[in-house]
Amino acid sequence: MPQDRQGGTAAAGRDAGAAAESPVAGLDARTKRDHKAISRLADDLLPALIAKLAASGLGEIEVRDGDWKARLRKPIGTGDRKAGGRSSVDGQPGHGISAGRSPSAALAHSAGEERDRLAREKAQAEETANLPIVATSPAVGVFQPRKDTAVGMHVRAGDRLGTVDVLGVREDVVAPVDGVIGLSLAEAGEAVEYGQELVRIELPENSRGLAANGADREAAAVLGEA
Amino acid sequence: MFSKILIANRGEIALRVLRACRTLGIGAVVAYSEADRDSLAAQLADEAICIGPADARRSYLSAPAVISAAVVTGCDAIHPGYGFLSEDAGFADVVRAHGLTFIGPPAEVLERFASKEATRRLLEAHGLRTIPGSGMLRDEEHALEEAARIGYPVLIKPSAGGGGKGMRLIRTPHELETSFKVSRSEAKAGFGDDSLYLEKYLEDNRHLEVQVAVDRFGHAIHMGERDCSVQRRHQKIIEETPSPALTDAARQELCARAVRAVVEAGYENLGTLEFLVDAKGDAYFIEINCRIQVEHPITEMCTGIDMVAMQIAIAAGEPLGITQADVVSEGHAIEFRILAEDPGKDFRPQSGQILGYLAPGGPGVRMDTHIYAGYEVPSYYDSLLGKLSVWAPDRSQAIARGDAALRELLVDGITTNIDLHRAILANEVFIDGKVTTNLLDRVGSAPFVAAGNR
Repeated sequence: MPQDRQGGTAAAGRDAGAAAESPVAGLDARTKRDHKAISRLADDLLPALIAKLAASGLGEIEVRDGDWKARLRKPIGTGDRKAGGRSSVDGQPGHGISAGRSPSAALAHSAGEERDRLAREKAQAEETANLPIVATSPAVGVFQPRKDTAVGMHVRAGDRLGTVDVLGVREDVVAPVDGVIGLSLAEAGEAVEYGQELVRIELPENSRGLAANGADREAAAVLGEA
Repeated sequence: MFSKILIANRGEIALRVLRACRTLGIGAVVAYSEADRDSLAAQLADEAICIGPADARRSYLSAPAVISAAVVTGCDAIHPGYGFLSEDAGFADVVRAHGLTFIGPPAEVLERFASKEATRRLLEAHGLRTIPGSGMLRDEEHALEEAARIGYPVLIKPSAGGGGKGMRLIRTPHELETSFKVSRSEAKAGFGDDSLYLEKYLEDNRHLEVQVAVDRFGHAIHMGERDCSVQRRHQKIIEETPSPALTDAARQELCARAVRAVVEAGYENLGTLEFLVDAKGDAYFIEINCRIQVEHPITEMCTGIDMVAMQIAIAAGEPLGITQADVVSEGHAIEFRILAEDPGKDFRPQSGQILGYLAPGGPGVRMDTHIYAGYEVPSYYDSLLGKLSVWAPDRSQAIARGDAALRELLVDGITTNIDLHRAILANEVFIDGKVTTNLLDRVGSAPFVAAGNR
């Protein structure tokens, strides 16, 4: 796709060059040529350019025909960010501008949709911020919480909260951040899968009132038994 | 019989094994990596368990992860599918040590057939002709001596490799000198074993394989052969059965010889013996695959045998229950590997979301795939999206059905090789049944790609 687009633009450039080099034969010829150029821009090139711009990650396209040129520009900030974002997601910089791989990508370029997308991203970011922080299982196996931990205890990032037994080999379940041990999401001796959420970690400022939480008291009991 | 099987693979084969388990009334747990959470097998399974991250070395290739998953879900057997751990003797041994059954040949059988070079010598002793080759190469000088003895062109091959990976065609001593070290380090990186050997390269050969099954009691059958000559860089693209290159008499002779050799050599369970057939029609044994093959559906379509169910039963210690006389292969079947590759861009693997998918239908049409509309093709694994197989009473009708089915097959949102398949089907060399393994590489894929775009 990107190659096709670039090819198309380059071809238009070559046409323009050829027209400029041709000898100017007089005013009538020039007027005729201008009319021809304008109608060509309006009827042939513009619709194709609009489609190309919409499907691309480019912010602006300009073409010339004779002495006339047309420049198309996307609503501010649309194209570049889209292309940048995509390439970082794909991890393939070479493919970054190939936003045309799916219609959804191409459609996201009207201003309205762009606003929706930004709103969605904002909502997502807020949701992520509010998500509880959880220590997850490093492997598939049997979970055992650490005996000397309990709900309400302060832990540092990297502290061991328990283990997952993988065929007799224990892999550590560690706290992902500094915080306070919260609700346990798996029981001692429970079979757990890779990535399963095991122990919640509350951030210190949120940890007040933890003892009043019934579920957490239950979790404390479970942790205490182990 | 087993009560519950852990399916330790992904993609279409995970789904194929799940289907066999359901048919047999056996419980199944699909083990998946984080990248395959949305795969069809994981979604359709009654039970599924995440065994690790996308990186296969920490999920599908991790013996502890796979076995631990089987233990904690209460499985009594593990089906490894193809690739990954499917032919790993060490894995099969550890599976058994944990009181579970590996669905495939027992560990000591895998061990015996693990080295291609040793396997060639073993089966040569049991009556199979093999391609002139070298022993394990000590060093570059040894390689040059051996190549001179065998005669150029030669293939340099990693002993631990498979599926054509890591092979290199060498035409001159100079090429050998420049390639030897690279091949060695590639083999080390790719297979963890840098042993290499040389093999005479047969120009214009065909690739045939004989499907066998041997139970624990030494009962054995063959299920005919498959012709896998349509290849690109040693990777199979289209397979068919029976081979248009063999007469019935030659077919019977080859298959009977193959099954006799593996029984005598102590093989057990499903296996595929691969042969290269030269222009004169002589078949040279090259290797055995100790697992279910990607292209097994065409054999199933012609014989009516559920080969995965048979594989499971053999691993459970059951007798085959049928003899060679019961195996009747009828009609002609062709399989097309539908790959997420862009033939127009040097077959670059594609990943991304499948926006639309419609499977073809009609008489004799079978689609094995794990994709669906909305499925995100992960970039971590191979590019196989699925396998379209067609069956018809004869070859020309099978080609016609294949073309009709390929026209109907819709995979939207991602570039595939569907058009390339249609172009190959329309090619005279294919229609005449005269494709050799080097065709696509020799003429290049460009004419086919161009034809496919028309």
